Amino acid sequence: MNDTNWKLEKRSTGIPGLDRMTCGGLPKHQTTLILGQAGAGKTVLTLQILAHAVAEGGGGVFVTFEESPAQVRRNADSFSWGKALNQSDSWFTIDARLPVGAESAGTFDIDGLLAAIQAKVDQLDHPWVVIDGIDQLLQHQPDRAFAVDQVRQINEHCEKSGWTLLLSGKAEGDSVSPRHLEGIEYMLPTTLVLTAAMIDRRLHRHLRVAKYRGSAHVPDQVPLLIDDDGIQLPYHAVATDERVKAGSDRVSTGIVRLDKLLDGGPYRGSSTLISGRPGTAKSTLSAGFAEAAAARDERALYVSFDEMQAPYVRNLASVGIELQPHIDAGRIRFCAPSAQSGLIIEHLLMLQRQIEEFDPHLLIIDPISALIKAAGGESPRIAVERILALAHSRGITTILTSLTGVGDPEGESTSADVSTVADTWIVLDYNERAGERNRSLSIVKSRGSAHSNQQRELLLSSDGIDLADVYEYGTEVLMGTARVQKEIEENVANRRRNLGHEQRREALERRIEQARSEAERLATELELEDRSFDEVRRTDRDYIDRIKSRRDPANREIDGGSDE
Amino acid sequence: MNVSNDRAEAQVPELILFITGNAPRSRRARRNLDEALESLGLDSVEPLEIDLMEHPEHTVTYSVFATPALLRTDSSGDVQVMYGDLSEERKLADFLDDLRRIQ
Repeated sequence: MNDTNWKLEKRSTGIPGLDRMTCGGLPKHQTTLILGQAGAGKTVLTLQILAHAVAEGGGGVFVTFEESPAQVRRNADSFSWGKALNQSDSWFTIDARLPVGAESAGTFDIDGLLAAIQAKVDQLDHPWVVIDGIDQLLQHQPDRAFAVDQVRQINEHCEKSGWTLLLSGKAEGDSVSPRHLEGIEYMLPTTLVLTAAMIDRRLHRHLRVAKYRGSAHVPDQVPLLIDDDGIQLPYHAVATDERVKAGSDRVSTGIVRLDKLLDGGPYRGSSTLISGRPGTAKSTLSAGFAEAAAARDERALYVSFDEMQAPYVRNLASVGIELQPHIDAGRIRFCAPSAQSGLIIEHLLMLQRQIEEFDPHLLIIDPISALIKAAGGESPRIAVERILALAHSRGITTILTSLTGVGDPEGESTSADVSTVADTWIVLDYNERAGERNRSLSIVKSRGSAHSNQQRELLLSSDGIDLADVYEYGTEVLMGTARVQKEIEENVANRRRNLGHEQRREALERRIEQARSEAERLATELELEDRSFDEVRRTDRDYIDRIKSRRDPANREIDGGSDE
Repeated sequence: MNVSNDRAEAQVPELILFITGNAPRSRRARRNLDEALESLGLDSVEPLEIDLMEHPEHTVTYSVFATPALLRTDSSGDVQVMYGDLSEERKLADFLDDLRRIQ
């Protein structure tokens, strides 16, 4: 490599998590040092990277200082990519195991090793070179400083020769590097450190990018899994950092009244936590979501850590939720792993694979608390965040259930702060009153939605799930028989009130009627009075006139003369 | 040079010194070996010398990846190897001792 070609180029390892942690892969034409204890996965890592290179049309050489070439090939063969690797003739193995009883008398050079590799890769463009277990050779170097220097020499050689080198060495005890090669982890441009430790009688493997000169990288120690597909780094295996447009689309919960409480239902791509004590119908409510999704012709992935499919589906049928037809039609996938059987990251990996394979619109994890309880040295919060981030980035609506105890509304999910992370939090509970338990539902929070903060009664019947309208009584919310009782009492009182009003009204109307006829009678009386009074007045006037005329002298003669 | 034929024909224990070109350690090893053989009275032993820079394929054939390296094959076919510039006299003498007894 000359001075004009100094830019750092990277080569993909084919391991999505590692490529993401190293922002593109390992440095081309440089050495990557891979250190780790026995069983930490060094050889598998190098074989897997080589298998990817071979699958992409590249090639290389695998120098083995510990296992025989046959063992190396058998090792590769146990993975999904091993068959293709073993059938390819674009890579070679070099058996560099030291003879038994090998000793040294003075310092030695490693030019022979480099010459042997060069002879093998001469025909290849940009070969990958794996030197697995370099410590096996260099431990015979009497001068430790010189041994460390030889690691540097290997790095210089590979830069000069255009090799992309993976150099592995076995760490011992608590040290990162081999005992006689202390300090080499800081010497090479890139160093990966693998660890394997027994915690609770389970093997926990981790990987860390201890150094990557000239490149951004994730410096965290992340859990590593080895399964049929080889090395997996579930925490970084899938891209979750894509910005997702916040949708305004609402997803029905399957319960009309609950939808109404949530302003139409949770947002698509949001997460909802349903927490509650045992038997508060968390699973039933979740199944309602699933059925509603399937009814919209969407796919729902139901991950149940508590129950197997058959009894679960049967129990739901008794409350009117029929999942079987949807399962048969492939709209609902039921997945029932045992919570105890795996590490947190094993579950995480399983979930990632199920999500990628099934591509659901709705994801239900029942309960998320089982996942949190699963064995694992690391914080379950990261695992939960990863799942939610993955779901969110794919627009998947998530329902998580969580078991709680008395007086502990957040319960087991608190340790992972699920209630903080979730967009909507529905709390289910029992309401004990008058010798009975009634299920209640309340919405503690719902981001971006107007929602009622009041408890509702959750009703399960053969017709499905429903919510009863709250019955407020003073400062209390009544449920069950108490609610019914109170309703009856209230109705009676209402009737009583209504009845009294009618009676009073009728009485008053009657009195108005009476008053009206009295008024008529009095009016008649008044008329008669007026009429008789007029009569009297006219009679009186006639009498006076007659008297007047009799007393008039002018009229007397006449009066006397005639009888007029 | 046909190394494998030489080995097949020679029934006596054999010494092969692996070197890489003119490297200082290789030169030192050659000198140290000659001196040791002489002082042990093994002048008659003619070590075979293989330059791995010229014949990198022999690295794999003999499984010798560090140089200089001294390879000793017993009559039984057992192979012993000693790496380094052979500057540790005692170790080298012990390594060659068996050779003297058989001679």
